[in-house]
Amino acid sequence: MKTRARLPRLVACGATLTLALSLSACGDGNGGASADDGKIHVLVYGDASNKVEKRIVDTFNKTSDVKVVLDTIPGADYQQKLQTIINTPQAPDVFFNWGGGSIKPFVKAGLLMPLDDFIKKNPDLENKFLPSVFNNAVVDGKPYGVPMRGTQPVLLFHNKAVLAKAGVQPPKTWDELLDAVKKLKDEGVTPIALGGGDVWPTQMWFQYLYDRIAGPELFAKAVGGDKSAWESADSKKALDMIRELVDTGAFGKNYDSVKYTNGGSVQLVAGNKAGFELMGSWYYSQQLTDHKEFAEKDLGYGTFPTVEGGKGDPANIAGNTNNYYSVMKKTKHPEAVAEFLKLMYSDEFVKAQLEIGNLPTTTNTDEFIETAGNADYSRFQYDLVADAPSFQLSWDQAYPQKASSDMHKAIQQFFNGQLDTDGFIKAMQALPTE
Amino acid sequence: MTTKITSARPAAGPRKGSRRRPPASSATTVGRPGFAWALPAAVFFALFAIVPLIMVAVLSFMSWDGLSSPEFVGTDNWSRLMDDPVMLTSIWLTLLLTVLGVALQTPLSILLGVWAAGHQRNRAVLSVIYFIPLLLSATAVSVLWRALLDPNFGIPAEASWLFGDGNLFGEQATAIGVLAFVSTWQFTPFHTLIYQGAARAIPQVLYQAAEIDGAGRYRQFFHITLPQLRNSMITSMILMIVGGLTTFETVLILTQGGPGTDTTISAYYMYDKAFKSFDYGTGSAIALVLVVAATIISLIVVRVSGYDKMRSSMEGVS
Repeated sequence: MKTRARLPRLVACGATLTLALSLSACGDGNGGASADDGKIHVLVYGDASNKVEKRIVDTFNKTSDVKVVLDTIPGADYQQKLQTIINTPQAPDVFFNWGGGSIKPFVKAGLLMPLDDFIKKNPDLENKFLPSVFNNAVVDGKPYGVPMRGTQPVLLFHNKAVLAKAGVQPPKTWDELLDAVKKLKDEGVTPIALGGGDVWPTQMWFQYLYDRIAGPELFAKAVGGDKSAWESADSKKALDMIRELVDTGAFGKNYDSVKYTNGGSVQLVAGNKAGFELMGSWYYSQQLTDHKEFAEKDLGYGTFPTVEGGKGDPANIAGNTNNYYSVMKKTKHPEAVAEFLKLMYSDEFVKAQLEIGNLPTTTNTDEFIETAGNADYSRFQYDLVADAPSFQLSWDQAYPQKASSDMHKAIQQFFNGQLDTDGFIKAMQALPTE
Repeated sequence: MTTKITSARPAAGPRKGSRRRPPASSATTVGRPGFAWALPAAVFFALFAIVPLIMVAVLSFMSWDGLSSPEFVGTDNWSRLMDDPVMLTSIWLTLLLTVLGVALQTPLSILLGVWAAGHQRNRAVLSVIYFIPLLLSATAVSVLWRALLDPNFGIPAEASWLFGDGNLFGEQATAIGVLAFVSTWQFTPFHTLIYQGAARAIPQVLYQAAEIDGAGRYRQFFHITLPQLRNSMITSMILMIVGGLTTFETVLILTQGGPGTDTTISAYYMYDKAFKSFDYGTGSAIALVLVVAATIISLIVVRVSGYDKMRSSMEGVS
């Protein structure tokens, strides 16, 4: 009996051990700059784009006496960690951010260096960038950031095959979209895929409809502290249109259980189960990675439909304008930092960004755009951004970071019917604006 | 393991033998350990538990965003929290999830544990399979289930007769159900382990005697196994309650407290306030509420269950 019992136990122990070993995840954090060591510490969000940042730093270090050290904080924790170190001796000299509300509290706390002096000495630091993008890092009339990655406007993507089967053309106007929704529903597919579980994809619908109906002024007023903007007739009209769209079943019934971040909504479109998805321009490379054949053959893209009678310019866009480098006031090497920032509009920078699929927002991007992986797509985006009278920064980034959680709650609750129009307006008015 | 128990019993078994030993005579010769002996542990505890706790208490009366220096605001954070409907529901949700956890995990783990204590063929291999969820981090488990429960490509899509439109994360009742289910899936193995050990320690003579008296398997289970597991049950339940009150990662990854605030339990609300809204004062106040609540509940459980004066339930055996 003893020997018979031993074998299973041995197997059991072995299996347990193997599992335990294979499951132990490894993380290597190299975030966090050290205090002054005669170098410039540049802190960036850790992801695939880091190879370009690394290359630019290497280029800079070849000629400069003051060396730059690149520190990264991996992914999702970036903003939290930045907030905890920024007012300590461990703070970097230069750091990555999203412009807008993501730096406003730092400006208010007097931590950031306005860049006007740099620009006075070298006007190219402003002139070489598309204005609609550069302006998103201007706080209280002063520039605080230099664009340092690619622009990511939100576009309305579609599945060509699904649309063709339902006899639908990519919609140019809101009414055409409503019509398309109806036809797609009759076909038995989800008209619009939405990763409501992440909430920020839901927010994209709010951003665009508010801009189309009221123009960028309404939101600018609200984020500037005039909370009456949310009660205006235009605001209510936008909310009514969202309500109508949701209630017609445009997003199906289970959108709040779907996520973009785990590939759920991406697969809905690629698997011919949905017609549209509103998403940032990174969607193309996401589909290319996840569903190569679909991305090359059937993935279509276009701008957000126009709304008849709306005050917003139909050429306006919304999304992530770009990421920015901001400079800390306490840096001991301002001249070297100014030199480093110059590289953000160099030819090498533009080519390197295009190579990895990012679309830089410098004026010289135009010359190199044909070298991009998908030149048509890059050209479409670049023209869109260059011609846009206004580029609405994503709401959760335009507001101070501390408002984003409550904003997401309100957006999700209005969308799924837990909050009515008045409830949503009240919730938005309760958000802190500085 | 089984051999150990059988060989150990004759030595320790007869109570007459132990009675003959003079009670605690060794203490007088060696000397009672003084406070100095406890010092390292006490310092460690003070440094890593008491000091932070005091700091959290102080911070709960301050307003701090992590950028500027903290300012005393008196009881502002507290009075706002008292009027906050989300805070109140978060407490109810925490209690609900805890109760659900205990109610689901206890019967399951008792049954599995008692079964695993037996000598059935393949028991060891199956036990290992049941044990696997415990080896996964809560994060991995949550990511796994979020993907498995995707309404379009996960289990709900294949079993629409059960899940309807599969909007599990979009409605409060189902979202809570998923949270309770995933915690159960993950932590039942741990409690199974406790019950397995305890069931193994029940003297076989009890069963042998019962068998002679003609008791069937069910009667043996309800009249011998369950009463003998009483102390383990209390231990396991206390662990479940404490675990339930401090649940966090599961909510963070599965639902982010949503839809809206429908699954925002207290621990998640604390995180939301402190680390997403950068309101460390309110976050600290919630943390303090959690500490006090958990302490009170633990004390009640200990009192009611008699954990503090727990004795061997094997009295009279021999």
